[in-house]
Amino acid sequence: MTQRQIRILYRTCWTIALLIVAIPFMFPFVWMVSAGFKSTTEIFGAPTLIPRVWRWQNFIEVFTYQPFARQYFNSLYIAILVTVLTLIISSLAGYALARMRFAGAGLLMLFLISALMVPEEVTIIPNFFLIRSMGLVDTHWPLILLPVFGPQGVMATFLMRQYFLALPKELEDAGKMDGLSRFGVWWRIALPMSRPAIAAVAIITFLSSWNLFLEPLIFLSSLEMFTLPLALSNFNDSYGLPLWNLQLAATTLAVVPILIVYLIAQRQIIESFALSGVKG
Amino acid sequence: MTNVFLKGIEKRFGSVEVIRGVDLQIDDGEFVVFVGPSGCGKSTLLRLISGLEHISAGDIYIGDRLVNEVQPAQRGVAMVFQSYALYPHLTVRDNMGFGLKVRKVPPAERQRRIGEAAATLKLDALLDRYPRELSGGQRQRVAIGRAIVGHPDVFLFDEPLSNLDAELRVHMRSEIAALHKRLATTMIYVTHDQIEAMTLADKIVVLRDGRVEQVGSPRTLYENPANIFVAQFIGSPKMNVLPADAAPLLAALPATPPSAESVGVRPEHLTVVSPGEGVLRGEVTLCEYTGAVTLLHVALDGGHDCLVIYDEREMPGVGSVIGLRAEGQNLHFFNQHGQAILASAHST
Repeated sequence: MTQRQIRILYRTCWTIALLIVAIPFMFPFVWMVSAGFKSTTEIFGAPTLIPRVWRWQNFIEVFTYQPFARQYFNSLYIAILVTVLTLIISSLAGYALARMRFAGAGLLMLFLISALMVPEEVTIIPNFFLIRSMGLVDTHWPLILLPVFGPQGVMATFLMRQYFLALPKELEDAGKMDGLSRFGVWWRIALPMSRPAIAAVAIITFLSSWNLFLEPLIFLSSLEMFTLPLALSNFNDSYGLPLWNLQLAATTLAVVPILIVYLIAQRQIIESFALSGVKG
Repeated sequence: MTNVFLKGIEKRFGSVEVIRGVDLQIDDGEFVVFVGPSGCGKSTLLRLISGLEHISAGDIYIGDRLVNEVQPAQRGVAMVFQSYALYPHLTVRDNMGFGLKVRKVPPAERQRRIGEAAATLKLDALLDRYPRELSGGQRQRVAIGRAIVGHPDVFLFDEPLSNLDAELRVHMRSEIAALHKRLATTMIYVTHDQIEAMTLADKIVVLRDGRVEQVGSPRTLYENPANIFVAQFIGSPKMNVLPADAAPLLAALPATPPSAESVGVRPEHLTVVSPGEGVLRGEVTLCEYTGAVTLLHVALDGGHDCLVIYDEREMPGVGSVIGLRAEGQNLHFFNQHGQAILASAHST
């Protein structure tokens, strides 16, 4: 056997092994897409991976059963808005905490970090009363304000601060020598150099907002205001039992933006999870 | 006319006093080097002049203008940093033009100045590259180019060659010297390398613990050090400092001043003679052959160690006893406080 043949054999074996390992991870996804094209009868019949009858109207009924397009748009605009606001606030706050000398900076950071240790479920009731007193129940404001100024915002601020701390201070000095104000240094030097951290925060925030379930469940009551995770749990028949074909067709549609984000920014996503120390 | 005048400069970080009252006059077009050991405050003093740090007390004048409260960019100074501080997300061209862009210099003028600086520093071919695609020497030239394009009144260099290898350092040193000659602008240069200081400076400022120990030309500092610290800091290998009673054994004249506590003699000024009566005797403990010369480590009879530069072909073996002599004019006498006793004072 030549060296080249050994290399090809090794690579083939390795690929096969990886494919086998990937099956358990891929199977639920493939099953979801497949079931999205089946009728309820076929879903509960003998298991088939490829639908016997391709039921395209599932994807039309998803939009007629409830205002799914509106709900889809709600999720999309909320996730984008939360991501943009979080990026602006966390990068400004992170930069201030990393670079500005003021009394109690360390204590403030410690206080913010300690807020991360409080489970979301503990604060949801006080938050509900707060939001209700502000007259914002059944609006999208809680879904925007709570992530931006809550634990996710703190996590993003912490990530940005840590990244800014690692930037060479001499670059900022050079910026000052070139005539930049402190804001200019942040905007024209610190931010462009922090693209990996910005990508990490953007991806984590977008995914987190996209998948938000508890807050919409607590704060929203109108179908038109629902976001996707809540809408997905709402494909039920009159007895409250799930309409699996519609639910899985809707779920297939719901993962499309996430898939697109993954395909475009695979490298950054892996880096972002490494940077933040969180799992996908 | 861009002279720099420092008057009673002090800098404190909390309770730590870093600069303790520095007075200094730097003339127009002068190349001044701040030199001193790590932590002596030389970089801090440079940052105070640049405006990157605020002074705690005193006044800074640049070109007869009090600049205590003036922003760095408005002081008419440009700084070259130790780590080059090139913006990694910008090309060489954009790095060099960044300051001009911030100051809203028209694009045509900007390009003209970048072109001029690039031609001066031989950077023409590198203008569209990113800093990561450049070697250390090229990055250093870009950093200098970035300083040049602003047409500053004063250049500030903060240990600009310390990240380069030895060969490149020598090359860049000569380039900086040539640049100073061409631009004839006031330059203030910080280094801990006294060879750099000696070769580049019109005037050297030796700092220790936030104070100026001596200011003078390289020759003045070498030939007439004000105290033991300067005597040992300037010159390589450093000056030998021995008890004053060793002086008559080294040279018959001049007579040892009564207030002399110690005598200094540079290794290159010592001559190896046979260990007879009336000469300073010692045993060779180590011979370091460097090619051009040999550095002898000698343990003197009195228990002191002494370095000798020996340039003869036949070198004494380790363990051999040798005698040492020096010219009287090369002896430096210091009092009990380590201050030099002036030649005129001890010749009278």
